[in-house]
Amino acid sequence: MSDKGSGLQPGYLARNITRRDLLKGAAAVVVGATFGPVLGGCGSSGTTTTTTAGGVGAIKMGGHLRVAAGAGSAKEDLNIHGPALTTPSMAMRFNMYDSLLEFDQAGVLGMALAEMLEPNADGKQFTVRLKSDLVFHDGSAVNADAVVYSFKRILDPDNPGLAAKQLRGLTPNGIVKVDDLTVRFELEVANAIFPEALSAYSAGIVPVGYDPKAGDGAIGTGPFMLAAPGDFQPGIQAVFAKNPNYWRRDSGPYVDQLSIIEFADTTAQLNALLGGAADYCQMIAGAQRDIATGAGFTLLEAKTGSWIPFTMNCMAKPFDDVRVRQAFRLIVNRPEMIAQAADGLQWVGNDMYGPFDAGYPDLPQREQDLEKAKSLLKEAGQEDLSIKLTTSTSVSSGAPAAATVFAQQAKGAGVTVQVDEVNGDVFWGDEYLKYPFAMDNWGTRGYLAQAGFGSLPGAIYNETHFGETSEKYVSLVEEAFGTVDDAKRNELIGEAATLEHEEGGYIVYGFDMQVDAHAANVQGAEPDFSGLASAAGGSRYRLVSLA
Amino acid sequence: MPPLLKILFMRLGLGVLTLLLVSVVVFAATQALPGDAAKAILGKDSADTERYEALRKQLRLDRPLVEQYASWLGGVVRGDLGKSLVGAGANVTDLIGKRVVNSAILVLFAALVSIPISILLGSLSAIWRDSKFDNVVNIANLSLASLPEFVIGIIMVLVFATAVFKWLPSVSNVNSLMPLSGQMTLFVLPVITLALAVVPYVSRMLRASTVEVLESEYVMMARLKGVSEPRVLWHHALPNAIVPTIQVIAINIAWLAGGIVTVEYLFTFPGVGAGLVDAVANRDMPVVQALVLLMAAIYVLLNLMADIVTILISPRLRTGLR
Repeated sequence: MSDKGSGLQPGYLARNITRRDLLKGAAAVVVGATFGPVLGGCGSSGTTTTTTAGGVGAIKMGGHLRVAAGAGSAKEDLNIHGPALTTPSMAMRFNMYDSLLEFDQAGVLGMALAEMLEPNADGKQFTVRLKSDLVFHDGSAVNADAVVYSFKRILDPDNPGLAAKQLRGLTPNGIVKVDDLTVRFELEVANAIFPEALSAYSAGIVPVGYDPKAGDGAIGTGPFMLAAPGDFQPGIQAVFAKNPNYWRRDSGPYVDQLSIIEFADTTAQLNALLGGAADYCQMIAGAQRDIATGAGFTLLEAKTGSWIPFTMNCMAKPFDDVRVRQAFRLIVNRPEMIAQAADGLQWVGNDMYGPFDAGYPDLPQREQDLEKAKSLLKEAGQEDLSIKLTTSTSVSSGAPAAATVFAQQAKGAGVTVQVDEVNGDVFWGDEYLKYPFAMDNWGTRGYLAQAGFGSLPGAIYNETHFGETSEKYVSLVEEAFGTVDDAKRNELIGEAATLEHEEGGYIVYGFDMQVDAHAANVQGAEPDFSGLASAAGGSRYRLVSLA
Repeated sequence: MPPLLKILFMRLGLGVLTLLLVSVVVFAATQALPGDAAKAILGKDSADTERYEALRKQLRLDRPLVEQYASWLGGVVRGDLGKSLVGAGANVTDLIGKRVVNSAILVLFAALVSIPISILLGSLSAIWRDSKFDNVVNIANLSLASLPEFVIGIIMVLVFATAVFKWLPSVSNVNSLMPLSGQMTLFVLPVITLALAVVPYVSRMLRASTVEVLESEYVMMARLKGVSEPRVLWHHALPNAIVPTIQVIAINIAWLAGGIVTVEYLFTFPGVGAGLVDAVANRDMPVVQALVLLMAAIYVLLNLMADIVTILISPRLRTGLR
């Protein structure tokens, strides 16, 4: 039961797209369009599935889906344009709001509220036409005014939205209403991945005047809505009602009520499922898989592009010497690290990010080579290197374990690594982005979006400072941003990624597998390539029914 | 002024002073922690300096520390606990109100269950000391006292909610928006867990003091006079034996009110303990202050009440006042 290819998504999405098309860059057959959908490069498919929904007609309507989500807090809110500070509030947003475009479960970019997106030849202008007759939860019309308001709100200089940085080149003056359903975005610089930025969940479309306080005024177009503002209790739970006016006519929502219940503790979260207080449990830990299956629950497993790298600061000693960086990458025994530190809940990485990007290069897998690492360190005059590795459970619950495994593996190359595990407030404190050697946690992104966040000079989360040390890298990425031709851009991305693979500061040893568990009567949950908030990423609970 | 009232007022005055000191210490402690509320809220996103500075300004964290404390204290004196620094910036009173009610109900149930059981077990063990009953109770008490309450809680969940039987809910996410009467089953496991944590201390204390009193000369005197055994126990022995136990009960109830963090965490119970953990993690100073002051006030008041009750029920102290 997929909404792909439903007649509601005209334009270039109306035809079936195969992976081969994507790799050839042939998918973008829209009116002069040339941006490449981001999808599954390596492996046979972007995602794996352990359950599939029954055929159409088998779907049972109604019922109350209770989802157990981890790590909630009173600090969360439902302001779609701000950062989702907790996983549960991210899951809530996915079910309440829509953006103009969106990625589907397999990572194919398609239309959501927009009916059509038309770029001009130089990648500096994008015209968007909305689907007609769309309404918000409060019954008001989704029109060009709402789109203009939404993007001006995101770009508010006093309180910039999360998507502001991704909408590279867009200023408030560049958002032009053409007619009641059409908006033109005029960019100051070419931004070939602008459509990808429009698909970010934090670029959600909201009604004019939107400014939610807790549950009050949290209005979107999504499949579920708050029946009363008090139904959202930050840090405790949110209860949603089905949106009777949901714009997708034949793909959910199927349940009448959706509760997202928050747990501070993962054991309590799983207990809720085991004890029958929840039907669906988001993102369980590796060791909990056997408990869940042993008790008769079904797992939903998604192969995602999110990653937990070791970050080497290319501007700080000893990593200012490229040979030390290369040596450290040869120290890692990736399969062993994944088995020991992540309970096998990862797949092997090759020191590059954006594995689902069409430009992701197919390079030989890097493997452990302690002899070569030793000789590189000797050349660099760092034979008896001793170094501190800063990590934290707030990076990822498995980060300290991975750090410990790295320290053990490093002994084989004569390197002493002291693992310094700190609290989240310390880790993200004043030293963050200055650590010579640390770790970080990143979600699934296309290559250029990720480079804009983490690798270019001046990027907000610039941990490796690789861009500052390589003019060639920066010019490749900048050129790619301005290249609207898919094949050419993918080539540039491939070159940039290869350069990072050879000389960069990230050790990308693996990408995450995301696992949810649910009761046998929960049907229709599909794994998602982003893994955001849950394995059914984007938490598309509209597709779920209770048998 | 009656002497008892004088003691009461003096102790209340000292209590207020204690609370003031607590608030200074807590404020200083939250400042000593690395980072601030804006950093704690944003986490990794605080690397975005524009957003971080905007949030700092919005939370008014750019003011000098003394000014921040003074304006908070000024509010408290006027009965205004301030606004939360996180989320939608709700009034602290609204924010913690439901949690306080939830925790109060939990503590009340736990006390209502555990205190009568403790008194019964403690006094019976004392009367039948060294009997089989006494030995069994002793071993059970020592075993329970040596287990942390979260271990007891996990065993309860395994046995009654998930692995063995599925009789009771494994999570106790009480919904304040719904009537409480329909949610009573949610309280069962946390109450049993807390009761099992409290009973060993109180009943052992009562056993020890009752044994001591039963061996005292005035009890022997009463028995020699031919006073019936129940009367010896209920009129002569227990009123004296319970005096030290009252202090233990008071401390245990205070512990229940403030120290049930792990139990709330385990059962995802929306009470003050879980709220405090979250508020500390978020550096949400007004909420931390309000909850800590509440817990401190409960300690002060319960200790005061225990002292007053002790004075009232022990003849020596009562007459000493006159």
